[in-house]
Amino acid sequence: MKRLNTIMIVVFAVFIGGITCMNLLAEDQPFSQAENRPLMEFPKVSLDRITSGAFTKDVETYLSDQFVHKRFWTSIKASAQKAVMKKDNNGVYFGEDGYLFEKFETPSEQLDANSESISRFLENTTGVSVYGLLAPTSIEMYPEKLPKFAQTASEANAIQRIEEQVRGEISWIDVASALKTAKEHPIYFRTDHHWTTHGAYVAYQAAMEKMGMEPVPSNEFTVRTVSKNFRGTYDAKANDPSVAADEIDVFEPKFHVSYDVDIDDGQSKMDSLYAWEFLEKRDQYSLFLGGNHRAVTIHSNVKNGRKLMIIKDSYAHALVPFLANHFEEIYMVDLRYDHRNMAQIVKEKGIQDVLFVYNIAGFAEDENLIWLRQ
Amino acid sequence: MVFSSLTFLFFFLPLALSLYYISPRAMKNFTLLGVSLFFYAWGEPVYIILMIFSVLTDYIHGRIIGRYREKKPLYAKLGLVSSLVVNLAVLSFFKYADFLIGSINSIIGTGIEPLDLPLPIGVSFYTFQTMSYAIDVYRGNVRPQKNIIIFALYVSLFPQLIAGPIVRYETIEKELMNRTFQLSQFADGVRIFIIGLGKKVLIANSIGQLWASVESQGVSDLTVLAAWLGIIAFAFQIYFDFSGYSDMAIGLGKMFGFNFPTNFNYPYIAKNASVFWRRWHITLGSWFRDYVYIPLGGNRKGQLVLYRNLFIVWGLTGLWHGASWNYVLWGLYFGVLIGIERAGLVKWLEKLPRFVQHGYLLIAILFSWVLFVFEDINEGIRYAQVMVGLGGRPLYDTAFLYDLYTNGVLLLVAGLLSTPLFTRLWKQLVERNEIIRNEWIQTALQVFFFMAILFLSTAYLVDDSFNPFLYFRF
Repeated sequence: MKRLNTIMIVVFAVFIGGITCMNLLAEDQPFSQAENRPLMEFPKVSLDRITSGAFTKDVETYLSDQFVHKRFWTSIKASAQKAVMKKDNNGVYFGEDGYLFEKFETPSEQLDANSESISRFLENTTGVSVYGLLAPTSIEMYPEKLPKFAQTASEANAIQRIEEQVRGEISWIDVASALKTAKEHPIYFRTDHHWTTHGAYVAYQAAMEKMGMEPVPSNEFTVRTVSKNFRGTYDAKANDPSVAADEIDVFEPKFHVSYDVDIDDGQSKMDSLYAWEFLEKRDQYSLFLGGNHRAVTIHSNVKNGRKLMIIKDSYAHALVPFLANHFEEIYMVDLRYDHRNMAQIVKEKGIQDVLFVYNIAGFAEDENLIWLRQ
Repeated sequence: MVFSSLTFLFFFLPLALSLYYISPRAMKNFTLLGVSLFFYAWGEPVYIILMIFSVLTDYIHGRIIGRYREKKPLYAKLGLVSSLVVNLAVLSFFKYADFLIGSINSIIGTGIEPLDLPLPIGVSFYTFQTMSYAIDVYRGNVRPQKNIIIFALYVSLFPQLIAGPIVRYETIEKELMNRTFQLSQFADGVRIFIIGLGKKVLIANSIGQLWASVESQGVSDLTVLAAWLGIIAFAFQIYFDFSGYSDMAIGLGKMFGFNFPTNFNYPYIAKNASVFWRRWHITLGSWFRDYVYIPLGGNRKGQLVLYRNLFIVWGLTGLWHGASWNYVLWGLYFGVLIGIERAGLVKWLEKLPRFVQHGYLLIAILFSWVLFVFEDINEGIRYAQVMVGLGGRPLYDTAFLYDLYTNGVLLLVAGLLSTPLFTRLWKQLVERNEIIRNEWIQTALQVFFFMAILFLSTAYLVDDSFNPFLYFRF
């Protein structure tokens, strides 16, 4: 028994001590690609912070943030969860055919407040055509791929609730019905909370119809697969190594196009709607327009004098490349970062059309539409 | 810092063990005291002052009681009373002041502001330990400790500091003064610690999510079976959480050369409430028995005094668990149950088949957890109404089916691990099977088993954003 005890102690000491040393020797990372957030670095020391307990609390966050090989450990946990018949991990369902889904919770009063904010905006934008596009998320589109007995609230009901609540002149674009008829295409990513360019194309067709314009038919685009290793936000939560990565397709027009993209009113410029460098990073959806910015102005080679404002979340990014071929100028704003008076800007810029683009799950919880009530 | 955290496992523990084992023999107690105070200061640095105050006053009280207990008993008695007053004052001020203020406000309608003090870590445990020390010195069961380093180590010893077991001075007196390294003791410590870690991280935290899921549905939307599933999940969560924590404490104690008393002994296999409490949080039950119940006369002074004593002891036991009326009621619930059992229920139950006896205890325990888990008593009552079918709620819904289906394996494992079944099977296997008795095979199996738990627990901790520790309220 002496040998057994010795080996037991040695293995234990090597495990605990080994991981401790690995963590000590590893260089601190300022940012985690996998979690898409900055990591805690070694906290500042001061007598004040020590006595208040802030220092030790930060050290704990620092140690767990900087833990080495996190992805390895989290995938072990996800596999163990699956082994004991769990059908979700960190709030994300393991669906069939490699689909991951996030549950849609019954919306709170925030949704009603957001409807009210849009109503107030409409009061101040008379004479302008306003369109609303609320996209469902993947869980609404693929109920048949959900685990048995899994629960989720109805996004259709939530969208209907908003359409009934908003007062004033607004045309709602029913993308959910359009998407349902296009399920033979990969309209949503399996591992991310966004739609794909295929989904966005379907939404674009529906939007064009509402706006009384002619969409460019799909045979005038070349569909090119630009990535085969996209692992999105659902994957970051579920961590299931058996789920395959997503592909990203881009619709390239066969006709001549050129764009001038101005980001944050002159902060930086691009001559493409795609920021290709993001394909080297984890956050590959930021390929479209380089991710979230406060305000983006897109001038296209279409000289028809039409100006469109898009008030949006990131679902708009995959949609804008289609819309850009119909407007001379698109002014795209993100209320999460831009708190200016939008109705005022509509007047100043002589904008004729305004389009809201949100996914319903994000819209139901978004706290920034309040800025429309100015 | 809780034991089931990355900071503890991969920073504090290796640091503490290395410092302790490289210290020369004469310095070991000093090192361990330093490490323990560091551990204590980690959570609430300012309360280190409170810890030092407690150590000093209890040390002086112990010396006074010890010096006068034979020559001038009155002085010794005054010393004892003073010690109890100081300890209870510390406990009441930090733990019960807001509860008292709230109760006064609601009874006579005053508007006194609550103090909102953070609860000093482990205050419920170490004040009970130092009170037992003072009483034991007074009774002559132990000699007062004259070395203040050793006494401070007894009070602040980090493995048992935050969540017990409640270790009496006499239990570890010899080890405090003189302990030698034993390979088998350290290895046992490693094994017990890993088991406790697995109980807490792999089972309690996972099944806690099931309870959280049921609780989040809200009492008014709950179906009957979901209410049962939820409280069963809570019963497993609190058992694996608390007993896991005690196991980790006992294991750590052994790594540093201490043998702490057992705190849990498969409580859910008991057949009545009296036996349950001899298996659940054993060190707390025996504390109240030896320092409250028996001094009050126990059961030797007639029926009336017995019932009065049960009422006092169980009211206090409840109150110890938290500063809220539902905990008091929870304690009294057990007082009443044990009273009825003594009055004849047990004799009657014993004539019935065993599964009826187990069923009685389990149902009684599940309803007790309803009282325990809802600080708002009315909500607890509504929850219990749903359980017995008085809520006018459907029997089940799809949410329940999903919870049951995805937690079935976990519930089964938790159920089996609440009984000594696996331990017994393993022992029998070793006794009967020569191959397994082979030392190398034993070693391989054991190392694989324990390391797998440690490895998985690490994976869960790295992943976990869900690592709430239930016992910070104590």
